[in-house]
Amino acid sequence: MNKYNPPRMNPSSLRSRFATRFLRSLSKINAKKPTASSSSPTEIFRRYRRIKVAADKSMAYSVRSRRTWSRAMLWKLRTRPCCRRSVKTSTIVRKTRHEKQNKNTTTTTGEDGVVFGVEADELRELVPGGEAMDLYNLLDETAHYIKCLTTQVQVMKKIADFYSP
Amino acid sequence: MLHRLESLESCNYNGMGVAVLERQAASLKWQQQNYVVQHNNLVELCASSMPQLQGLTGSNLGSGQMVELKRPEVFLGSDDFQEFVNFPVAGAEFGDSEKLDMVPPEAAADYCISRTSSCQMTALNTSVMKEEREDMILEKMESTTGSGRKSFNKRKPEAVADHKGKNKRIKGEGEPEVKTKCSTEISRNSSKENSKASEVQKLDYIHVRARRGQATDSHSLAERARREKISKKMKCLQDLVPSCNKITGKAGMLDEIINYVQSLQRQVEFLSMKIAALNSSVQFNVENLTMKEFPAYVANFPAAAKLPAMASLPYFQLNPLQKESVNCMLNESMLPPQTATEGIASASVSISEQSLSSSSMTQLQPFSTWNMDPQDIVPGIISNFKREYNFKCHYSPSYKTYSNDSDSYHS
Repeated sequence: MNKYNPPRMNPSSLRSRFATRFLRSLSKINAKKPTASSSSPTEIFRRYRRIKVAADKSMAYSVRSRRTWSRAMLWKLRTRPCCRRSVKTSTIVRKTRHEKQNKNTTTTTGEDGVVFGVEADELRELVPGGEAMDLYNLLDETAHYIKCLTTQVQVMKKIADFYSP
Repeated sequence: MLHRLESLESCNYNGMGVAVLERQAASLKWQQQNYVVQHNNLVELCASSMPQLQGLTGSNLGSGQMVELKRPEVFLGSDDFQEFVNFPVAGAEFGDSEKLDMVPPEAAADYCISRTSSCQMTALNTSVMKEEREDMILEKMESTTGSGRKSFNKRKPEAVADHKGKNKRIKGEGEPEVKTKCSTEISRNSSKENSKASEVQKLDYIHVRARRGQATDSHSLAERARREKISKKMKCLQDLVPSCNKITGKAGMLDEIINYVQSLQRQVEFLSMKIAALNSSVQFNVENLTMKEFPAYVANFPAAAKLPAMASLPYFQLNPLQKESVNCMLNESMLPPQTATEGIASASVSISEQSLSSSSMTQLQPFSTWNMDPQDIVPGIISNFKREYNFKCHYSPSYKTYSNDSDSYHS
């Protein structure tokens, strides 16, 4: 019996979780938009912003609160000025508590400080939530963040290719 | 060894006699045979041992004999020195319970070992010194502290707190410091037992081994441990970031990592812009494509996704096929891999035939009966339908069977 059994997607993998959420949000965005001129640059730009936010949000939700960067990103998204939803104080309290926990005010002494001074700051700006982390945790978060970003890029590439004319 | 004696002499002893010096020399010799003792540490230990000695006088020292060997040199300028000086002279008074004679080295070693084992091993749980070149070991001190721990603990650990230099612990607390003192003075002979014992304890200290020629104070050890952790992390990152293979410096690697993260973020932005632009031209309803899309995507990776044919049936309740969709499918580059391309070709042919004739659902049924890999084609077809017709399909829960099997790519 030649049964062709190609491997299937793991439903609990990061990629599947992200893709599910992202596609759902994409459909919502599509449903929202008026059928009017959707090819004007402003419209496209607005949609682009929404899609980007949707992508970030889907990724952060896929990771839940397991990572500092995902927590930071979710918090940032929730407290966006354009976000009409009222932010619960409990969320803020939780976030500040997280921040306090994450804050390790270790000064990089010795050669570490010399080597990583400037680059570490740059990395902190790039990785969400990186401002309050010491170098070791920062590298840890960066590794996970890179992995999630690559997943995000792959899925979005596939979607874009799939729907391109 | 001579220099030690000289150093001792230079210390501010009071009433140090020749006999004492001789004894010191003997003890030094004995020590030399067994340990590597550093002068500065010695001084530190001496200072720290003062309270211990005071405690010793009153405590029951089972094997306190060992301590005496050290005493004379340990005590530098101590007030108790006088007492000590008397020890060798009047051993009898010392203790009805103990004999404070000079114990021969072998016995001393044995005592030490027994001491360490009796020392509750809590001490040993510290940085376990297994055989090492640079261990600062004062066996007797350890035995002393072990036995006299009760009395020692009464003394404020402050006395010991100053001597973190000897401690290889990264955390320092009162009790642990005492224990650390114990541990730092473990003899090479009993190091193994100590290490075993230390593992039993459950203090989460970071065990750091001082290597030859490296500083051994707690700060530098902590720094070194941190640096090693960070370099381990950098190696992991090097595997993740594709461009890091050739670069060997930390700074260069970090620059590469930063560039890579920036490029990934820019790619996300660009792709979201692309999708936004796409949305304007293509009306697509992706509501129910979640699970269906996946296999198509996955199929583009080396491993193809398998889709049960049965699950595809519900999706045939779509709008009628039309030629354009079939052509789209044919031209679809997203469709799954080589194994399925033949299937696609044949399927598309039959589809087009059917679509020409009628738009009946049932004509698509044969899809599911095909024995090739229609499963791979189905999602492509379906998504094409959706794309062209903006059709809302009911999301079949059975579709979830698609993703039940594990994929080699699951992250």
